[in-house]
Amino acid sequence: MHKTYSNKAVITTLVLPGVLTFVFAILAPICLSVYYGFTDYSGLGAYQFVGIDNYKELFKDSGFWLSVRNSLLLAAGFICIQHPLAILTAVILDRMQGKAEGFFRCVYFLPNVISVAVIAYLWKFIYDPNFGLLNNIIKMFGGEGTTNWLGTGTAIWSVLIVLVWHGFGWGMLIYYTGIKNIDPVLYEAASIDGADNKQIFFRITLPLMKPVIQINVTLAIISALKQMETVYLLTNGGPGNETQFLANYLYKQAFQSFRYGYGNAISVIFVLICICATGLLNIVFPKEKEA
Amino acid sequence: MSKKTKVEDNNKKNPLGKIALWIVLLTFAVIQIFPLVWLLDFSVASSNEMFTNGLLIWPETFRFDNYVNAFQNGHVGTYLIHSLVINVLAVVCVLLFSVMMAFACSRMHWKLSKAVLGMIMLGMMIPIHATLLPNYVIYDRLHLTDTLFALLIPYVAFSLPQGLFLTVGFMSSIPREIEEAAVIDGCGVFRIVFTIITPMLKSSLVTVSIMTFLNNWNEFMMASTYLSSPKWKTLPFSVLEFTGLYSSNYAVQFAVMALSAAPMIIIYIILNKQITKGVAMGAVKG
Amino acid sequence: MKKKLLSMLLAAGMVVSLTACGGSADTADGGQQAAPAADSAAEETPAAEDGGAAASGEAVTIKVFSNLPDRTSGQGLVEQTLFDDYMKENPNVTIEVEALDDEAYKTKFKAYASGSQMPDLVNVWGQPGFLDEVMEAGLLAELNMDDYADYNFLPGSLDGFSQNGKLYGLSRNTDVMCFYYNQKIFEDNGWEVPKTYEELLELGEKVRAAGLQPVSMFGGDKWSLYIYIHDLEEQLDGSGVMAKTNDAIRNHDFSDPTFKQAADLFVESVDRGLFQNGFESNDGGTAKNLFTNGQAAMYYTGSWEMSMVTDQDIPDEIRENIRVFLMPVPEGGKGDATTITAWHGGGYAVTESAANKEEAIKLLNYMFRPEGWTRIAWENGVCMSAQNFGDFATGSETEVQKQLMQLVADATDLSGTPLGDLGSSEFKTICEDKSQELAAGKITADDYLKALEAVGQ
Repeated sequence: MHKTYSNKAVITTLVLPGVLTFVFAILAPICLSVYYGFTDYSGLGAYQFVGIDNYKELFKDSGFWLSVRNSLLLAAGFICIQHPLAILTAVILDRMQGKAEGFFRCVYFLPNVISVAVIAYLWKFIYDPNFGLLNNIIKMFGGEGTTNWLGTGTAIWSVLIVLVWHGFGWGMLIYYTGIKNIDPVLYEAASIDGADNKQIFFRITLPLMKPVIQINVTLAIISALKQMETVYLLTNGGPGNETQFLANYLYKQAFQSFRYGYGNAISVIFVLICICATGLLNIVFPKEKEA
Repeated sequence: MSKKTKVEDNNKKNPLGKIALWIVLLTFAVIQIFPLVWLLDFSVASSNEMFTNGLLIWPETFRFDNYVNAFQNGHVGTYLIHSLVINVLAVVCVLLFSVMMAFACSRMHWKLSKAVLGMIMLGMMIPIHATLLPNYVIYDRLHLTDTLFALLIPYVAFSLPQGLFLTVGFMSSIPREIEEAAVIDGCGVFRIVFTIITPMLKSSLVTVSIMTFLNNWNEFMMASTYLSSPKWKTLPFSVLEFTGLYSSNYAVQFAVMALSAAPMIIIYIILNKQITKGVAMGAVKG
Repeated sequence: MKKKLLSMLLAAGMVVSLTACGGSADTADGGQQAAPAADSAAEETPAAEDGGAAASGEAVTIKVFSNLPDRTSGQGLVEQTLFDDYMKENPNVTIEVEALDDEAYKTKFKAYASGSQMPDLVNVWGQPGFLDEVMEAGLLAELNMDDYADYNFLPGSLDGFSQNGKLYGLSRNTDVMCFYYNQKIFEDNGWEVPKTYEELLELGEKVRAAGLQPVSMFGGDKWSLYIYIHDLEEQLDGSGVMAKTNDAIRNHDFSDPTFKQAADLFVESVDRGLFQNGFESNDGGTAKNLFTNGQAAMYYTGSWEMSMVTDQDIPDEIRENIRVFLMPVPEGGKGDATTITAWHGGGYAVTESAANKEEAIKLLNYMFRPEGWTRIAWENGVCMSAQNFGDFATGSETEVQKQLMQLVADATDLSGTPLGDLGSSEFKTICEDKSQELAAGKITADDYLKALEAVGQ
């Protein structure tokens, strides 16, 4: 047994494809980013080492800080808007049972399977100040309906709404599964003891869902940090840098301003932020059982 | 059984409450689905009907030719095939690599097993877009740009950590006795992995497949940076290219959006149960 | 849990150490990776090998990267027609086109430029903000100035495509900024074409009162905003503004009153509702559709949109009533009807690394022989080329064409490259962002000018 299981050649064959892919597509590029992050490479021609100049500039760059702020805002939006609503619907859905349950679950999840490209363009139309769906709805209720949703001041909220809307079903589904896993005997016991719905929710459902909530919150924060595609198509970070996110900002610096070196410096910080955030979350939410 | 009593209980107690619950559910359902209904509605209208005030319209004439136009000029068919090929290949690679690595790292004996596992797991934290710039340089030098590999490699690499994580988790619940018996019978490692372990992992592999597929299906930043000819362009390009092409014809733009959303919706409706289970399992475990 | 954390740390350590050595190893990247690269290149692009043999009639593929995604109408159709004709005349040549929208094009172009596999024939803008860095980096093939002696290029139209006396590209169009307006809407409401800028602002208020959007603009493509400001500067200050702008960018000093006045006027226009709701984030398609669907009375854009008149997707009663006027002169401005904001922006260049440089230049020259682009574009009412398009006047042009031709013929002072395109690409990015913020009312005119001064300091 031991001999078969410690055959070096076999191990290498099993591990190599995965490791190679990982090194080639993740590790090597990150090393390259670190390297270019110390240069003033424009993307064209020759370049020089500039030490940590890029990083110094980055910390003074309002676009960078706006990106960080927006990621935090988005994470907050997920946690404070999307998730409470998702838990609420999941709980109600659990009560409903029957055929309707499958239908609703399906409807809620549907936006998730639609490609971001479609979602972003669709919402661009919904938000259009002159003929968009949203303003038409407002007009129907007697409002003026001339708000420019993707304009200054409102743009970031509009982007948040799209992302919250798009990911709603995913969160709901996970909560729903979490609730389903709660032993019904507990509910029964509570009912017999005369607990009302509210009490049941706060005393039983919520505490037992803790691990699921932790997972969902972690996922939400990570995905808020990684956000790029929707924003790229919806606003491309504009107006100004109001709806900028890190991934989009580094792309813009490298491929619009010809600042490839600077863009790579942002990449490096981006990776560090993501790693730190995950590390932090692991400390805040220690996993109860070994995976 | 016990669920039933719970529901009956509620019904008896509070019929009004039940209606309220229904209203909440329906409201959310409408919010989630209405934009899509709106999309479908205007995709069969004429372009200038966009500029009316109502929410939905009954088009003067139903312009189903919008869809014909969208299908032909949006390359929906070809791009869909590209998307499917790339994503299916990515899923296959991720499954294969995950099972192999998971077995090597969690079952076999070697010094670096935990370190390698940890290193790959670290990939879960790394944002795919942070590698856009350097990968462009690397692929360009290797002449991989505008090939299938420019997408396949990063897609596999970024789905692998999660796939591996899930597979390791599932594998740990498989008792070792079975393998031990196989080893005593003189079974080689590869046969153990592929004929004994893999079949037992079936349901979890479905989860990994679904997660990988959903993760990569939407991706287009890499695609639009690394690809240039229509040789391997994926489905999102139908929409991206079309907006420039038909900038003054909104209805056709809507049609192409509806068309390129359709395949996944159909897949989802068919595989509804599996996807639901997969997503839930993937998240709870991961 | 502990175990897991430990392995994480271990892994993190590995990454750090790998990164540390990676730094030095990366310099060798190019060399190390070149070996496999050579193999794959040979497999994937067999056409590349044929470069030298092109003349002898062997199969040649020319890769074109174009900013005209619509291949079935307008300029895209003209381009495609020329390509098709060329392929018919040279059956050994295949032309592969990759086409993207302007904004996406510019981004992808820069990605290409930083890589090693540029397409053969590319669209470029003959403006410092786009082209200078590209020419400096030696990415474009030099063209032979003498080849174009009898191509009738308008005076100055190739300046932006030249550096140190060497020519790197050909200019495609003469772009004139103007207001398109809907004559029928104007007549029905008794509105007149404004003669001064104040009249334009008043007209805007009237249009708004009538329930329409006054001027449709595409601030989502941010460059249109600084062009508008530049147009105002031009009308305020006449011919001197070009030199002033160049100096201002070079000396980081925008204190000349013209800049402030123009920015103030722009802000005033926004405040008085001259532009459609959300103009600062609407994209080109949306802005155009507002006008072509009768939702907006005017549309501020360039002469390249003259093909609206012949676009079958646009309702007849609208496209037949499209007319043009120029940016009216503000009070006290030195400009007049002969001062127009016009430049030769878009054009083509052949890349230095092109696999089939000779053939690509041949194609370029074919496109721009006078009876090529110029004639086809003019006769189809698509745009005004950078060559002597007047030679092909037939008298059966559309009204818009006639108007624009007259405006250009009368012009004594062409503004040249607009504000944001005069500096580096970094200047352009910042000028775009700040113009958008100014339009959105986020910053004041003073902040705006200060931000422009700060670039590169």
